[in-house]
Amino acid sequence: MIKLAWTYVRLGVLNEMQYRANFFVAIVQSLLGVAVAIAVLALVYSKTNALDGWSQSELLVVLGVQILLGGVIHATIQPNMERLTQEVQDGKLDFALVKPADSQLLISLRELRLWQLVDVISGAVVIAVGVSRLQTSVGAGHAFAFLALLLIGASLLYCFWLVLATGSFWVVNMWFLSDLFEGIYQVGRWPIGVYPGWLRYSMTYLVPIGFAVTVPAQAMTHRLAWTTVALAVGFAVVVFFVTRWFWRFGLRRYSGASA
Amino acid sequence: MSSQQSAVRSYVDFYATGIRTQILTQFQYRVAMYMYTLGMVTEPVIYLVVWRTIARQHGGAINGVGAGQIAAYYIVWTLVRTFNVVFTPFGWEERIREGQFSSQLLRPLHPVHYDMAWFAGHKIPWLVMYAPIAVALSLVFHPTLDPRAIEVVVFIVAIWGAYVIRSLNHFVLGMLTLLTTRATSIFQIWFLSELLLSGRLVPLTFMPEWSQSIAAWLPFKWTFYFPIEALVGSMSTHTLLTGLLWQCLWTLIGSALVWGSFRIAVKHYSAVGN
Amino acid sequence: MAGVVHVDNLEKVFRVPEREAGLRASVTSLFHRRWREVRAVDGVSFDVEAGEVVGFLGPNGAGKTTTLKMLSGLLHPTGGTAHVLGHVPWKRERDYLRRMTLVMGNRNQLQWDLPALDSFELNRAIYRLPRDQFVQTRDELIELLDVGDLVRKPVRQLSLGERMKVEVVGSLLHLPQVLFLDEPTIGLDVTMQKRIRSFVAAYNERFGATVLLTSHYMADVEALCKRVIVIHHGRLLFDGRLDSLADKFGAYKTIEAVLADGETVSMQVPRAETSAATARLLAEHDVSDLTVEDPPIEDVIEQVFAS
Repeated sequence: MIKLAWTYVRLGVLNEMQYRANFFVAIVQSLLGVAVAIAVLALVYSKTNALDGWSQSELLVVLGVQILLGGVIHATIQPNMERLTQEVQDGKLDFALVKPADSQLLISLRELRLWQLVDVISGAVVIAVGVSRLQTSVGAGHAFAFLALLLIGASLLYCFWLVLATGSFWVVNMWFLSDLFEGIYQVGRWPIGVYPGWLRYSMTYLVPIGFAVTVPAQAMTHRLAWTTVALAVGFAVVVFFVTRWFWRFGLRRYSGASA
Repeated sequence: MSSQQSAVRSYVDFYATGIRTQILTQFQYRVAMYMYTLGMVTEPVIYLVVWRTIARQHGGAINGVGAGQIAAYYIVWTLVRTFNVVFTPFGWEERIREGQFSSQLLRPLHPVHYDMAWFAGHKIPWLVMYAPIAVALSLVFHPTLDPRAIEVVVFIVAIWGAYVIRSLNHFVLGMLTLLTTRATSIFQIWFLSELLLSGRLVPLTFMPEWSQSIAAWLPFKWTFYFPIEALVGSMSTHTLLTGLLWQCLWTLIGSALVWGSFRIAVKHYSAVGN
Repeated sequence: MAGVVHVDNLEKVFRVPEREAGLRASVTSLFHRRWREVRAVDGVSFDVEAGEVVGFLGPNGAGKTTTLKMLSGLLHPTGGTAHVLGHVPWKRERDYLRRMTLVMGNRNQLQWDLPALDSFELNRAIYRLPRDQFVQTRDELIELLDVGDLVRKPVRQLSLGERMKVEVVGSLLHLPQVLFLDEPTIGLDVTMQKRIRSFVAAYNERFGATVLLTSHYMADVEALCKRVIVIHHGRLLFDGRLDSLADKFGAYKTIEAVLADGETVSMQVPRAETSAATARLLAEHDVSDLTVEDPPIEDVIEQVFAS
């Protein structure tokens, strides 16, 4: 199975290498995006010193995490989910299902937009800048927790996308999916505490942006509590299994229903 | 009937038919509409929350604008946004590839009218869905809104003006797809500029002076800020009416650009074709 | 001005970037582009009179579709001239667009989610058709193609053949005088193909429209076209009656004879020797039935393209 995954990645990279021009475009896009985000941040902080207790440097860390994870989403998760919903709509999913490999793995790894990973680098740079300007320093333990939580965050976002994409088995026409996500993902630009109660809870548990973005940022800015870590891990595990179950449920329905 | 009159009549006929067709189509995809609206509404809600938080921390107002007015700005924002949604320039690539553009070229009607009629038709079902959302947002965020009669009238004219200007501009952008492979980069720069200089991100009055001066020369503020502020703010009658004149000017400029860019693009397309 | 369609030395040359496979090639191609000239249409001339139905035959890539696209105004030629109904097609004058139509097999112009009737209304508005005339034409076309119950269903629910029929109705509502049909029967089953063919013939007869049709189904051309233009490598190889195609290019004839004792004999003889062979057969055997046939038109075409 690892071999299969690796083959897909290799193919994806080879494919993308055909379009070197995309690399430069991706860099410019990423820089523009970062520049605008920082401009907005500057605008906000021209009117205040702290947003919900977060300083400007700390908010840079939040921004960096959001951009970094955004890069991961645009490079690996989104293209695969878009392809999945398109194939369900066109009735072409059967090709993927006939292949002798785990279907979830297959539909999750087929597509790769390599150059979107530029955002991962941009995000990392923004995080580094933010951390370097913090009052207190960051130790190895923090960094480790940060990376682990990033992985958990990515996993949660993947599961979220897959659940939505699985919905296409019922709703069929999901053209709005990417727009919907992009809109909601912007919530992650700001620490979750800013939002009023009901919005905060839905953005943490329903759409796991709070866990994905704010929590890793908390690791780097000394706000992290052990309970949060435990909750994040537990939540991620549960979500993963529920997602897998839902995927297989949808798949059974699809195979049963297709003419 | 003179040929001028009959030409106008047939355009009206086309728009009426196109709008009707779109309404029928849109009602078929209710789930998709709800989802799209949901995503669309998150954007202003985020800004609303952030600015409101800041206002609260600073004695209830930023630049003299209170939390209630901020809420009003962003709630009216969602109505204006519903109105200025037009065909995305990013969609032209697929349209050309699928041969739809060729089909449009075969007919005796300028392609710009298709999108303008289609999206005008979109508005009607969306407005129906918008109403409960506006009510819900108002209950949560308590906007302060007390418009004069003239402000309401100008608002109604201005949101259609915003729609026309944005339609024309996006069509010109779409034509770029036929002329260069770097079109998407140009689009990105365009939308980033629009985000910052149109009042989409924040009321323009929150922006630093120098950027407001730049925004005065660009079409963006007339598609977001002007209609919103007409209803929410306290502009004088004189400002309101001059604003409408500015919209007319940008409409004329947009039309000229559409005419020119279409001719150039079709010449280029006819060399390559699909 | 000769007739409805006048084409004089029409030329279309495409510049296509050359790119080989492989990583290194794709990198170098970013810095140094190599171009190749593709002569899609290479000096084609012909005239078509009003009411004629002309078939364009040729293998894929021969230049048929490109020629039609130029005549419908979608492409600018790189050389030569053409006039249709007195207009230069690629000027895309409104008056010209209102009098012609291009139908491409497998292309959808109707609204996907709505019944075809609603799309017809749109076309009415686009082409500025007076309501009475529109309703009459529409109903007549619907009856000719027998799609009465199909036009009320959303287009996406129709099968490929049904969709094609409905598309054809939509394309003819403005009663164009010139029809360009590009592979109209592609992908359809035999019954549907026959339907479309008989409809085109009926439309041509009823309205006197000029029809230019491309196909690589011989049956289309045989059923509809008295006149055939053969195009290959962008050049016009033959322009004339379908039966004389066999005369010019057919290499052999088939003689079939039924002998008195019931045995059947079939022989292929070179064209020039047909009379001699027939005479010998009749002299040497007791023949009760004899037919002399041209080779099937497909074989003829193959011969044409092989040369």
